[in-house]
Amino acid sequence: MSAPVSPGLRSGSLPLLVALMTLLAGLSLAGLAGVQTLAESWSGAARNATTIEIPSDTPQFADRTHTLVQTLNKTPDVTAVRELSIKEVQTLLAPWLGQVSDSAGLPGLSLPAVLIVAHTGTPDLGTIVHDVLPEAVVEEDRRWGERLNGLGSSLIACAWLAVSLIAAIAVLSVGMTVRRSVMAQRKSVEIVHFLGAGDLTISSRIAGRAALLSLAGGLVGLLLLSPVITMLAQKLTPFSHGAPPTASSSNTWDVLIATWWSTLHVLPRMLLEELGALPLIAACLGWLTAQTVVLVWLRRLP
Amino acid sequence: MIRLLNVSMMPPGVGQPVLRNLTLSVPQGEFRWLLGPSGAGKSSLLRLLTLETRPSAGQMDLLGVSVSHASRATLRNLRRRIGFVPQDYRLIGEWTVFDNVALPLRLRGASERDTRREAFAVLEWLDVAHLADKRPGTLSGGEQQRTAIARALIGRPELLLADEPTNALEDAQARRLLATFQELIEMGTTVIVATHNEALVREAPAASIILQDGTIANTDSQNGISTRRVERS
Repeated sequence: MSAPVSPGLRSGSLPLLVALMTLLAGLSLAGLAGVQTLAESWSGAARNATTIEIPSDTPQFADRTHTLVQTLNKTPDVTAVRELSIKEVQTLLAPWLGQVSDSAGLPGLSLPAVLIVAHTGTPDLGTIVHDVLPEAVVEEDRRWGERLNGLGSSLIACAWLAVSLIAAIAVLSVGMTVRRSVMAQRKSVEIVHFLGAGDLTISSRIAGRAALLSLAGGLVGLLLLSPVITMLAQKLTPFSHGAPPTASSSNTWDVLIATWWSTLHVLPRMLLEELGALPLIAACLGWLTAQTVVLVWLRRLP
Repeated sequence: MIRLLNVSMMPPGVGQPVLRNLTLSVPQGEFRWLLGPSGAGKSSLLRLLTLETRPSAGQMDLLGVSVSHASRATLRNLRRRIGFVPQDYRLIGEWTVFDNVALPLRLRGASERDTRREAFAVLEWLDVAHLADKRPGTLSGGEQQRTAIARALIGRPELLLADEPTNALEDAQARRLLATFQELIEMGTTVIVATHNEALVREAPAASIILQDGTIANTDSQNGISTRRVERS
């Protein structure tokens, strides 16, 4: 242990405080990652799909629908054309028409044909469809994708706001804790000041201790966060692309770690890096806050 | 060298100054008793001289530095050249006696080896070396006072200030302390000792600064410095 030239920080509550803040920040970041993943998934799906509705009263309904399907299948960038079955159309319209058990539809009401066209790029499907079947209604899902994107962006902004608020509360809490500690050791701090200790000598010792306690708190917070993160990873598995890594060892411990890691593998790499950095960020915030609080406090002394 | 010119001190929130128009000078390497009744301003003057506060008016030069306009860094370096024995000892309770005594040398950046050697030398001289690992709270008043004296003496300060430094000491220890002050003076240290102990003053007659109601009281002073010598009884 280094020789003391200034009082240190006395605060048993700081690590607990930082642990809770780390937990909250981690949850917000995880929520943010989840929202981002979902938003990307939704907008990706919506961006590459178009819905075409052919009214049932269209002359030569069946033949012209068939012609349209063939035309679309030949169109470059169109990857798939699927006509919904009567049951699927009924399910689609159920919120407006109610459940119908008859496969032919409601009496006196014939159902339209609905085509779902999957494509890459942005082919001008509206023109192609209307050339063949002017009565058809083309619903570009891209617009929904844009709305979903907007919703996703709002949620992401909210999540970032939450993270920023947590950081601000953490800074305030650490600041108040450090100030309380300095006030409790006021006499000792004054003694070393009047013996010729520099402001930075005093503040650095307190800030160093604050950084260590914050780091410890951050690590505890991360530990508390790990079950939540594992659960989130399991929830996000359906949205994951690519195979997770598998264990190559027969050792039980290795297999357990590999299984856990394969679960985490579905999480965005950025999230894992951000979570890993949380204790370090906590330590930096603790150090900076303590330095500032002590230096400001010392300015009162001549 | 200490030089005060029309110095006044008015603590915040106090309606009137506790020191008024003090003018005095003490050459380097001289000894002064600081005398006066309770409330005369002795502690306030010591607070000024230990740089715990700045004068609210007037000019104060300490060890060749103009304190009134000095920067924080200058004041910090100046404090390292001053030793102070406070009446209430002001020891850091969480630290050992050794760490308390070693602090001034550590602040000056001395090596740990030199710090250890000098700290133990002064602790042994004051008969408290065996308490080096104890916390101040476990010591008697006399032992705490000797620890505070050791902290003030370590590193041979250029200015030594003491507020009632013998009130918890036995007579023999007090005499020994006076002898040490004499040695420091011979090495060029300026020493100012505030005391109520008339017997001690009689034992070591020297020029005095006598305060009364925040001003220099004696009329036979030159440049505000008392030239009165306390006669041996």
